[in-house]
Amino acid sequence: MDNADILVGIASYNNAKTIGHVVKAVDAGLAKYFPEKRALIVNSDGGSKDGTPDIVRSATHDHAAIFLSHPVYPIHRISMPYNGIPGKGSAFRALFRTAVELNAEACCVVDADLRSITPEWIELLLSPVIRKGFDFVAPLYSRHKYDGTITNSIVYPVTRTLYGRRVRQPIGGEFGFSGKMAEFYVSQDVWESHVARFGVDIWMTTEAIANDFKVCQTFLGAKIHDPKDPGSDLADMLLQVVATLFNLTEKHYEKWKDERGSSDVPTFGFRYHVGLESVKVNAEKMLGIFRAGLKDLRGIWLDIIGPGDLGEIESLGSLTDGEFRFPAGLWARIVYDYVLAYHKKVMSPEHLIRSLVPLYLGKTASFVMEAENMEQEGAEAEIEKLCLEFENKKDYLVTNWK
Amino acid sequence: MENFMELLLQPLRDFGITILQFVPNLLAMLIIFIAGFLFSRLIKLFFLRIFRIINFDSWCDKAGLTAIIRKGDIWSKPSDVFGSIIYGFLIILFLVIGLSALRLPTIDNLIAQFFLYIPRAFSALVILIAGYVFAGFISRAVLITAVNSGYHYAKILAEAVRLLLIVLILAMSLEQLQIAPGIVIAAFSIVFGGIILALAIAFGIGGIDAAKRIINSGEPERPEQPKQNNEKKNDKEREAEYL
Repeated sequence: MDNADILVGIASYNNAKTIGHVVKAVDAGLAKYFPEKRALIVNSDGGSKDGTPDIVRSATHDHAAIFLSHPVYPIHRISMPYNGIPGKGSAFRALFRTAVELNAEACCVVDADLRSITPEWIELLLSPVIRKGFDFVAPLYSRHKYDGTITNSIVYPVTRTLYGRRVRQPIGGEFGFSGKMAEFYVSQDVWESHVARFGVDIWMTTEAIANDFKVCQTFLGAKIHDPKDPGSDLADMLLQVVATLFNLTEKHYEKWKDERGSSDVPTFGFRYHVGLESVKVNAEKMLGIFRAGLKDLRGIWLDIIGPGDLGEIESLGSLTDGEFRFPAGLWARIVYDYVLAYHKKVMSPEHLIRSLVPLYLGKTASFVMEAENMEQEGAEAEIEKLCLEFENKKDYLVTNWK
Repeated sequence: MENFMELLLQPLRDFGITILQFVPNLLAMLIIFIAGFLFSRLIKLFFLRIFRIINFDSWCDKAGLTAIIRKGDIWSKPSDVFGSIIYGFLIILFLVIGLSALRLPTIDNLIAQFFLYIPRAFSALVILIAGYVFAGFISRAVLITAVNSGYHYAKILAEAVRLLLIVLILAMSLEQLQIAPGIVIAAFSIVFGGIILALAIAFGIGGIDAAKRIINSGEPERPEQPKQNNEKKNDKEREAEYL
């Protein structure tokens, strides 16, 4: 195949259980919504040992059984291994390259472990690019109030505050993007960093916003996927995402220093309420780690956040579990102090970000307890308040950035 | 009688000749000392300026070198301390060069040994400094990882790791200096082995519960745990996602 109008990428690693469903949904979505386009489904695989690539090639879908129209062109599929550091970002890099080589007009990427994907997701991710001329489409999901805590407490508030655009799920996992955007991604030299792994999502979103590409978001409904890999450690994920976020903060200082407030980005898709699975959280365990950090990481925190905020954190440590509440303003200052410490190279980036884990768990435990009796809207309102704290305190970050 | 006088005068003449031969050497030594002193002062000032430009003091604070210096009851700035070390080293160097100008065989032997020893002393110093920074880095990594894993004795573990590394680094430095190498190796083996044994015993006694938990966590089926606050038990429940 020399050319393709649409490329749909699926990054996988041992997803034999779910990838068949994902490929069928993508295939059906392309057939139903873009029958006149030449489309290619590309599976970028990290060396699965459970036959994932075979399932990609063999998953079949009888279009005649469900659609009145047939695609003009057959929808091709390829499964290919990628090179480089094992991780989602390296898999995406191979997809971007393929998109550029095939001169694709529009692309999207979806996770291989999705259970809730429907053919409509493909339309929702690609149409803003093909029909409205957007360069980057971020996902918008209905999520449980306890899900996405790194997004809600760090990534969304920081991205929104710095760049002034309200992209609610900057690390959602599913994205649509134009061929021009893919070309931009391929041209960047970041593939030996955390971008090669979990950092790729925040990198894609931030680069799209910071480089003034046309950005929007699209409502996909609920995101349900296979239980996460038990090996995917919180500290590692936090490190990869936050290190990438902080690196981008360094890179785009000129872009964000004068930005104040934030504005919505165009949002597509029909919003509806979704019944969500219940989620279990152990706030007691989170508070245990927070208090352990308070006891043992005091010296490290002092270097990063200074004596004033450390004093406030110490006073939180003396509260009982029931009374424990992490003030939004304090959290915003702490995150900014970490951004500044990263910028000023106070210590090794890895130690710096890993030392944030107990504080993040304290903040998350506080949110879990505050939101215990709240509906989804109430929890969302709390996140909005937190974002406003970040926006109100932006001068603190700008003034201390030297 | 003439012969007798000759016998008396000859040593005096020889002594005079030796003194005459020695005086230029002595003068050369004094000139080297004075020039060396001035040169060392200049180099010290040069380094102090460089240290100020590269913000050496604040780097030492971050790397923990200031803390080491303070532990040695030295309260000057790290840049002054390192400036003085460089100055002292140069003074010793010029002292040795000056003494070599005397051309005395005994001193020449000592100087040869001194110069042979300099690379060893230098590498021992490098091992000490790099090792201290490395031990601090590893100890901090252990501390943060242990805290994030919810390990109760994180600080003790991190300090134990630091202690082990410092013992190892000291042994390496002493071995490099060739100071009683046999004793150093024996002492290192005893101390290092002793620390490991002490840790093993301490973990064995203090970590019975932790060990039980670790062993139990590997079993295929675990007994029902009591329900905890904020943790709902339900077969359909899943873990919260971070991202």
